[in-house]
Amino acid sequence: MYVIGIDVGGTHTDAALLKDSSVAALAKVPTDHGDLFASTRRALEEIWRHYPGDGPVKLQLSTTLSTNTIVEGRGAPTQVVAVPGPGVNLASLKLPFTVHELQGYMDHRGREAAPLDSQELKGLRALLGTGEGEAVAVVGKFSQRNPLHEQKIAAELEQWYKGTISLGHRLSGRANFPRRMITAFLNASVASQQLDFTRMWQRVLENLRIPLEDVLVLKADGGTMTLEESGQRPIETILSGPAASTMGVQALTSCKEPNYLLVDIGGTTTDLAAVVDGEVLYERDGAVIAGYRTLVPAVLTRSLGLGGDSELHFAEDGQITVGPRRAGTPVCLGGAQLTPTDAVSALELAQVGSRVKAVEALQDCAVRYGLTWADLAKRIIQAFVAQLCQAVESLYRELESMPLYTVREVLNPPELRPQAVVGLGAPAPVFIPKLAEALNLPHEVLPFSAGANAIGAAAAAATLSITVHADTELARLTIPELGLQEEVERPLFFDLAKARRAAEERLRELAKTQGFGEDAEIYVVEEESFQMVRGFRTVGQRHMVRTQLRPKVRRVRG
Amino acid sequence: MAKQEPVVGLVFFPAFDWCITPDHPERQERLLYTRDQIQEEGLFDHPRIQEFRPRLAAPEEILRTHVVLPSLERNITESHRIAAGGTMVAADLVVDGRVDRAFALLRPPGHHANRFVHGARGFCVLNNEAIMVDHLRHRLGADLRIAIVDTDAHHADGTQDVFYNDPGVLHISLHQDGRTLYPGTGFTFERGGPGAYGQTVNIPLPPGTGDEGMLMALEEVVLPILEEWQPDLVINAAGQDNHFSDPITNMGFSAQGYARLTDLLSPHVVVLEGGYSIESALPYINVGLLLALAGLDYSKVQEPGGVRPRESRDIIRQVAETCREVRELWKTRQDVDLKSVFGSGPFFERRRQIYYDTDNIYESQQEYIRLCQSCPGWRVVYTSSTWNRTPAAAVLLPWKPCASCLGEAQEQYDQLRKDQRFSQAIWQDPRSSPGSDEIS
Repeated sequence: MYVIGIDVGGTHTDAALLKDSSVAALAKVPTDHGDLFASTRRALEEIWRHYPGDGPVKLQLSTTLSTNTIVEGRGAPTQVVAVPGPGVNLASLKLPFTVHELQGYMDHRGREAAPLDSQELKGLRALLGTGEGEAVAVVGKFSQRNPLHEQKIAAELEQWYKGTISLGHRLSGRANFPRRMITAFLNASVASQQLDFTRMWQRVLENLRIPLEDVLVLKADGGTMTLEESGQRPIETILSGPAASTMGVQALTSCKEPNYLLVDIGGTTTDLAAVVDGEVLYERDGAVIAGYRTLVPAVLTRSLGLGGDSELHFAEDGQITVGPRRAGTPVCLGGAQLTPTDAVSALELAQVGSRVKAVEALQDCAVRYGLTWADLAKRIIQAFVAQLCQAVESLYRELESMPLYTVREVLNPPELRPQAVVGLGAPAPVFIPKLAEALNLPHEVLPFSAGANAIGAAAAAATLSITVHADTELARLTIPELGLQEEVERPLFFDLAKARRAAEERLRELAKTQGFGEDAEIYVVEEESFQMVRGFRTVGQRHMVRTQLRPKVRRVRG
Repeated sequence: MAKQEPVVGLVFFPAFDWCITPDHPERQERLLYTRDQIQEEGLFDHPRIQEFRPRLAAPEEILRTHVVLPSLERNITESHRIAAGGTMVAADLVVDGRVDRAFALLRPPGHHANRFVHGARGFCVLNNEAIMVDHLRHRLGADLRIAIVDTDAHHADGTQDVFYNDPGVLHISLHQDGRTLYPGTGFTFERGGPGAYGQTVNIPLPPGTGDEGMLMALEEVVLPILEEWQPDLVINAAGQDNHFSDPITNMGFSAQGYARLTDLLSPHVVVLEGGYSIESALPYINVGLLLALAGLDYSKVQEPGGVRPRESRDIIRQVAETCREVRELWKTRQDVDLKSVFGSGPFFERRRQIYYDTDNIYESQQEYIRLCQSCPGWRVVYTSSTWNRTPAAAVLLPWKPCASCLGEAQEQYDQLRKDQRFSQAIWQDPRSSPGSDEIS
């Protein structure tokens, strides 16, 4: 079985061809920001030349299409229809889009506390217009507990609205109304573009005459989704680059520790991620992109403006600060400004460009501070490592400050600290050993620095998740991601185990409709269960179970 | 000085795995809907609301405030230690300047816990606010002036008991009249011990008091008293059982009223106390409270069921009368001849029977306070209960004892240690880490 992974990066588009669990070939072409599709296609053609033609091929793409559109604010004009009910005043949230507030609301258990106003529904036509080339997001508070209002509004809109319609409950089963509004807004705004992208790929695959078995798109959680599915939920494709990088590390590392730190050092930035108990940590609520807080499940990465090509700042007292901005090409490679890479080159920690040029540039700078060039170079390296250490410490501090809600957890807080450091990126062989030494941990520097993201994209596996909310007093079971709401039969006997089974079965059915095999491993990511007591009598139980297809990462040999 | 855009530290600890009994009002489910509402409103990740983990209170932090009988290990569960620890975390956040205000939204509650703890009373074992106040003074010095405003529907008899003779603390409790509700105390004539007379302020409110009456008491009594007393820190023990839907009280307060109260009082630290209308009131009260603390718009916070009709004119008249009385008592507190209240002997004696409703325990207590001109006076307390039948004796020092009180107290403690009649002799000096065997 062959898999091609393609990662569209800021400078290069990388491609990797995996055969079973080994890297068969790597390719690289410059990214064309004017025509991302063209450069992606070139990368595919490049790597395709290495395909020996003896087995089925799957293509897995990490695209920056939606990410760029959102960052650059180029999405379709999008309005939001919200059913906020009482609570936080939406006007005070300063949301960056037009919100039309409708009356009616669901309470925290998903009971309709006030119905929609049919006159207001009819009035939407005048407010939204025909929707040609536009989009609308429909989001209700607690719609994940009861999607009825969103569904009713959608039914009204579908009669006349010509643009894209995104419904909040289909995108996430988690609580957080402002984030759900933002997620649905962004999803709606990039949807038509993603559909074009999907169609384009379908055409290309026909023309290329490449016998691709499947085309999958990488998501922010490091998993993949089908091309069709990405047309419905394009928002999940954001930030797949950093996710691909962490998948690459997981695929390539031989680290056996349950907890380790991932460090991806590049020219401009360094990305940190944490593996705990063998699994990469996710953001608590969801991805943050261009200042938008979303509910999109995402690998937790912290990015610092610290890289081989970073600017250097010298304080009066000789204190050196690296970054956060990029200086440009290092002197040793023909640039004008001194960078950490020049210190690496001069000290012969690695062979990079012209060592002579690097030493000269360091010399020029060193005399101003009464230092030798070698001392200055060492201090630059030290400053780099010290800043990295600080960022690692603040990452783990942040993780350790995540709230705990049970006595059990407070008494035995989860152990998050790493037992090893795994690094990649061109400067990694120099800096990772020094970082690991400062942290007093063993380390590993991965091969394939350049192609790791593409390898990660190729090694990633499907993820799919649903949330079951069951309230036995109301005899109701809701799966927001499926837009499903049904009566619980025999609610008295519907315990957590039954809720769990429902969550597993429904996810298995969904996986089958999306073409995943029967063997897909399903596991419970999160669950809780409460007795509901009123007046000293148990009136019911409330269960929440979130199941997911296990995001397996293929181990890859170098 | 209210900051324009205050940052709120939230120590949320719903103790989802702890209950008194599975169907007790203090059960796992109590803060479930509150969590759901805060989460759905997006307040856990609002830039002006930062969430922090609680911690376990250390034994010495508890024993600085409480005397636990027969021992800490036998009476205190981890959840109590986390609630007390979380409250200290909240206060530390404020005094360390990491946030402007803090909200310890946690359980189990604490304001019915007295200084002496034989078991649980009114669902409380450890007094979270009291432990926090002593912790702050331990860190920042005994001169710190702290005001506690308790707005739970039940009289804060435990907090009153702990600070009854403590001149560093002003304790104001607004509550449903003790003649109609547990614990049956909190009358205007309870004004504090000889060392802190007048600094216990009780404002009993008639059943049915709603937003207008509560806010009247706040604006006409509480705020002027605070203005005059000038505390360094204002703590709000925020019970949420004045709500009209609460199943175990008879008041008429609304979520809007709570938010308005929080806004007006503008406390540094808010600590959750009671509140058992877990579905219809708590989610909305807590959202309103958080918004008000963070200086955000709370005008759209409303519980389902619409606006509550206002209380009757008769209730407002009664509240106005109580307000007049309490203001008068406050104004004249320094004119009272303490001899007429506490006698002229070397000691003031107080004998009490205390009922622990949650654990069904009776405590008998005899207390002697040294009437001293230069300090609040040392105390000796003899206590026994149906749970600890052999009496224990404790010598208690004030935060700032005079030299002669310190000497007398030590002498008394030396005698008590040798006395075979007592199960244990306890020495409590809030300034140091206490122990039952050594004099510091």
